[in-house]
Amino acid sequence: MSAPGDVAARGRVELRGVGKRFRVDGRELTVLDGIDLVIEPGEFVTILGASGCGKSTLLRLLAGLEHPDAGEVRHDGRAIAGTGLERGLVFQEPRLFPWLTVAENVAAALLNAPLDADAKRRAVAGHIAMVGLGGFERAYPHQLSGGMAQRVAIARGLVNRPGLLLLDEPFGALDAFTREQLQDELRALQAREGFTTVLVTHDVEEALYLGDRVVVMSPRPGRIRAVIAVPLGQPRDRADELLGRLHHAARAALRDTLPLAA
Amino acid sequence: MSGAAYAGAAARPAAPGRRAGGAGRIAARLRAGIATLLLPLLVPAALLLLWSVASDRGWLPAQILPAPGLVRDTLLDLWRSSDLTRDAGISLGRVAQGFALGGALGLLLGAAMGLSRTAEDYLKPLLTALAQVPTIGWVPLLMLPLGIGETLKVAIIAKAALVPVVLNTLAGIRAVPPALFEVAAVFRYTRAQLLGRVLLPAAVPPLFAGLRLGLTNAWKALVAVELLASSEGLGYQLVWGRQMMQMDVVIAAMVVIAAFGLLLDAGLGRVERRLQRWRVAA
Repeated sequence: MSAPGDVAARGRVELRGVGKRFRVDGRELTVLDGIDLVIEPGEFVTILGASGCGKSTLLRLLAGLEHPDAGEVRHDGRAIAGTGLERGLVFQEPRLFPWLTVAENVAAALLNAPLDADAKRRAVAGHIAMVGLGGFERAYPHQLSGGMAQRVAIARGLVNRPGLLLLDEPFGALDAFTREQLQDELRALQAREGFTTVLVTHDVEEALYLGDRVVVMSPRPGRIRAVIAVPLGQPRDRADELLGRLHHAARAALRDTLPLAA
Repeated sequence: MSGAAYAGAAARPAAPGRRAGGAGRIAARLRAGIATLLLPLLVPAALLLLWSVASDRGWLPAQILPAPGLVRDTLLDLWRSSDLTRDAGISLGRVAQGFALGGALGLLLGAAMGLSRTAEDYLKPLLTALAQVPTIGWVPLLMLPLGIGETLKVAIIAKAALVPVVLNTLAGIRAVPPALFEVAAVFRYTRAQLLGRVLLPAAVPPLFAGLRLGLTNAWKALVAVELLASSEGLGYQLVWGRQMMQMDVVIAAMVVIAAFGLLLDAGLGRVERRLQRWRVAA
């Protein structure tokens, strides 16, 4: 694995003409259609859409958990053929192993990492400290709050020092206060470490507050409706006027995507 | 990150009562402890009282219902003459062999069926059908090839233990959340890693439920098979006591059988809790 600090050089993502279909009750359902998107190394891209727009499927394609039926998905120039330690994934639920402690859960991500035991120990301790959970190494998941458990999941997603971090509505189940706090922490972490980040959300504010670019998707079939650049540095002010204006634009784009029946 | 302060407010592993407890709290715990110890004894004590009244008043002939005191004396006699310990040792040995065999086979079959739909398609209907035949129903058939010696007893006990272990292991593996498989896939776990680090630990609770049920079944089958075909063991004590019309021996043997069954189950329960320290304390 690479040393800290060089992750910014990696993490370029290319999607070219990506399509994905599922069979549901014998009927073909087009979930993604003609997705073209390039994400530059170190960029923070949020994917915004109503439920059923295929945004989670898009993320699962990037993770290598699903394979495209059309087009290609590349990470640092290589076609994504399956899951890989060079891509970290954080789910909506923490999905920790309940029988393992915090430290063991983070270490579980390193099981197949080409590191010696000592380096693994240091990586685990370092990443637990990084998400502010120093002192909780030996706690079990049921002893953690939802926010703490999701921090563990983020530490686990980053412990392999992936060039690309993928997050699937990671803060959706948290209370508003914890959500804002974790948003700030994630953004600070990303600015410091430089990993490319793709975060899926249905929350307009979250998408705009976090993303360098916001990709708005329309459902059935899932297509890219608009890409909104957010020309603001970090940290951001949640009350920023520009965010307010972009909020209207994003909402308008989203509204257009909704089918009339909805 | 600035999370440490807010994170510190959440639960720590230790039980709060022990640390923060004043004298009142300790007294409350003591009372609760005594209550949990005594409550299960209440009904048996009432039955014991009824029993002694019944034998005192001669509601039933003494040959049929001996006095509690006599049973206690018989128990002590059997204990001193080491008849009891010898019989209990023999019975425990049979259960240990049968349970080890049936439990191991059950875990293997259950895991195979849990991991492979093909194996399940082949084996599950047969196992379900076999499970419908009561354990004792197997004795006449197995007597012919196995004789009436130790092999028969171990085979019957193994069969009794096998069925719940298979079915619970299968159900346990099937109940592992698919979400955890995806986590394992993201970290590129091999099949062996998936089995050892995700499937097995996740299946521990139902797996142990099966093992405990299997052990109870094994112990019950032991007594049944010793009743039918044996010249030693706790079940044989029952038969012998009845033939001699010594109901005190019968009841003494029953007490010992029940006590051992309870102890075995409690022992496995301890192992289970030890393996599941991660679960929310009840």
